[in-house]
Formats: sequence, structure tokens, C-alpha cells
Amino acid sequence: MSVDTEKLIAFADGELSGAEVAEVEAALAENPALREQLESYRQLSARLSAAFDGALTEPVPQRLTEAAQTLRQAEVIDFASRRTAKWSFREYGAMAASIALGLVVGVGVLQPPAPMVATAASGLEAQGALSEALNTQLAADEAGAVRIGVSFRNHDGAYCRAFDLTQGGASGIACRDNNRWSIPLLSGSATGGEVRTAGASTEVLNAVDAMIEGDPLDAAAERAARDADWR
Amino acid sequence: MPGAADQTRSDIVAMLPRLRRFARALTGSLADADDIVQIAVERALMRIDQFQEGTRLDSWLFSITRNAWIDEARSRTRRGKIFAPAEAGEQVGYGGEGDVHAKLEADDVWTAMRKLPDEQREAVALVCVEGLAYREAADALGVPIGTLTSRLARGREALQIMLGGAR
Repeated sequence: MSVDTEKLIAFADGELSGAEVAEVEAALAENPALREQLESYRQLSARLSAAFDGALTEPVPQRLTEAAQTLRQAEVIDFASRRTAKWSFREYGAMAASIALGLVVGVGVLQPPAPMVATAASGLEAQGALSEALNTQLAADEAGAVRIGVSFRNHDGAYCRAFDLTQGGASGIACRDNNRWSIPLLSGSATGGEVRTAGASTEVLNAVDAMIEGDPLDAAAERAARDADWR
Repeated sequence: MPGAADQTRSDIVAMLPRLRRFARALTGSLADADDIVQIAVERALMRIDQFQEGTRLDSWLFSITRNAWIDEARSRTRRGKIFAPAEAGEQVGYGGEGDVHAKLEADDVWTAMRKLPDEQREAVALVCVEGLAYREAADALGVPIGTLTSRLARGREALQIMLGGAR
């Protein structure tokens, strides 16, 4: 008798291959004790089903369906924040591209050699064309000496704007500080006329990531902030 | 992909009756069953991005439910009160719904299932109660298929001895 308990159970559970099924069926045909054993397995399965199947027809308690609903809410919020992160990343990418493009446009264009960055007691400060651009120029505006990138509020609530200089290859971040623009970051001062790749602005993007509070300003918010004089 | 995750979530809701049945077989207690189903649903939704499209949702959820029960049973063993609610239900005369619960939990099959070793009980619950194929049950429990079948055989044998020949 090659049909052991495990094999008989597997037969009852429909887990055997064709050859094994034939083997068990042959054994069953000539062995009444085995048939009895199979029948008792089937009865056990039926009793197990009967004992626990009530859960299938009883109404599901509200707290269980609510558990799913509550987390659904949490996840929606999570999705929203992830989407924002993606959006701002795209925004940074656009800025990086604009830096590269701005430099291409800037190549060969003579700029008046007026200083745009000065040293102040607290650090670097914008002046001249840079200060003027930070005050009035929008990211969508055509770049002159300065191209404006993303604008945002920093952790202190002050407005900050990423910028790059179309000639000279410098880029940086300026933050509003008592009617002036202080410059916490100025980088990539390549030699004039050298076209940098967008990747060179990674330092600026990382700095924006570190400084930003909330989302970057969209075009409408940027315009409103400018009209309110960045206060 | 939010659309796919939404689909998975509504599939989870549709699975709640089966999860409750499995949890009852596993815990031998109505209250414990719903508690661990709730824990399991919360865990599943937190890890919904870990669910692989095209694999079986029920096996995944049974596995999470079973792990939730292991965690719960472990912490109760530390507190020395495993199965206390069910035993109390048999002794205390409840009225109304509690009485119905106590009667169901005192059922021969429920009592016999509670007496099975954990490993055998979870194998029996997945295959005999939930009707999973051996392969799926073994995957849900994280054991080789041979281990599953031997636990299943021992579990069934023990149940048959406890429940006797009576129908």
C-alpha cells in the first residue's frame, strides 16, 4: 500500500497530479478502510467550513471598513505631498535648463561692466542690475543680464530667488533682507563666455532644497510677491 | 500608480469577510479575530506599494494577518494571558450578543482548533478553511511545501482524534 496519510490528504485537497490521482483511485477501489479514511477527511473539512463560514455572511464591523477608509485619507495626503515634490523638482529642472539657455543667449553679448555683487557687513549683497532684476524680473521674463529661477520662502519666511548671471557664469540664491537682497550662495563663477551645462547648477538646487519652506512660488504667487515688493 | 493601488484597496475591502474567517480559525476568538484583521488591514495599506501586481492578494493578506497574530500572541505570552478571553467566555454567563459569541467560541471545532499547535493550526486554517492550494499556503507561511503538508497531516489527525468519529 503506497498511499500514505499525506498522499490521501493531498488527494482530498485536489493537490495530486494525474498519475498520482490514478494511483490513489486504484488503491481506494480495492481498500474499504482507505475509502473510510478519505470520507472522514472530507467530513472534517466540512465541519471546519461550517464552524468558521459564519464570517462570510455576517456584516463586517464598521471599524474594519473604517480602518481602510482612514488610511485611504492618509494616503491621499501622502500622494499630494509626493506630487508636490515631483512638481518642484521639475521646476528646478526647468531652472537648470534656463541657466544653460541663458548662458547661451549671453555669450558674446556685451554687458556694461557694472558690479552686481558687493560685499556688505553681513556677507554678499546684490546691487546694480542684479538687485534691479531681483526686485522686478519674473522667471518668465526674457533674461537680460540676469535670469531669474525659482522663487520661494525660506525657513525664516523671507523671499528668496535663485538667479544666474547671463555673462560670467555665476549663479546663486538671493534672499530678501530689509529691502536688500543678501546672497547666501554664489557659485560657479566660470570664466566669461564659457557655457556651463545645467548640471553645474546642482549646488544651487541643493541649496534651494535645504532652504525652502513649503512649495516654490508659482507664476501668480511670484507676481503677487513682486507687486508687494517682496515683503 | 494610484489607480492600481485604489484597485488593490477595494480588493482588500472585498477580502474582509475571508480575512475574518481566517482570523477566527487562527485565534479561536471572535474579538481577537477582528482585532488582528484590523491590524493586518492597516499594515497592508501602509505597505500597499510592496504588493506585487499579478500575485495573489489573498495569500499576501493572510500572511500579514498571520504575522499580526504571531506578534499579538507573543506579547500576550509575555503577559501570560493567551486565550484568556475565550476561556472567560465559557465560564461567564453573558447575555445577548456576548452569549452568542461564547456559544460559538465553545463550539467543538473552535475548541479543538485552539488546542492545535500554532504551526498546525495555521496550515489547517489556510488549506482546510480558506481553501488555499498547498503552494500558496506554503508561500503565505514562508515554509517549504513539504513542511506545510506534514503540518497539515498532523493537524488534521489531531483534530480528528479530538473531534472523534461523531459526524
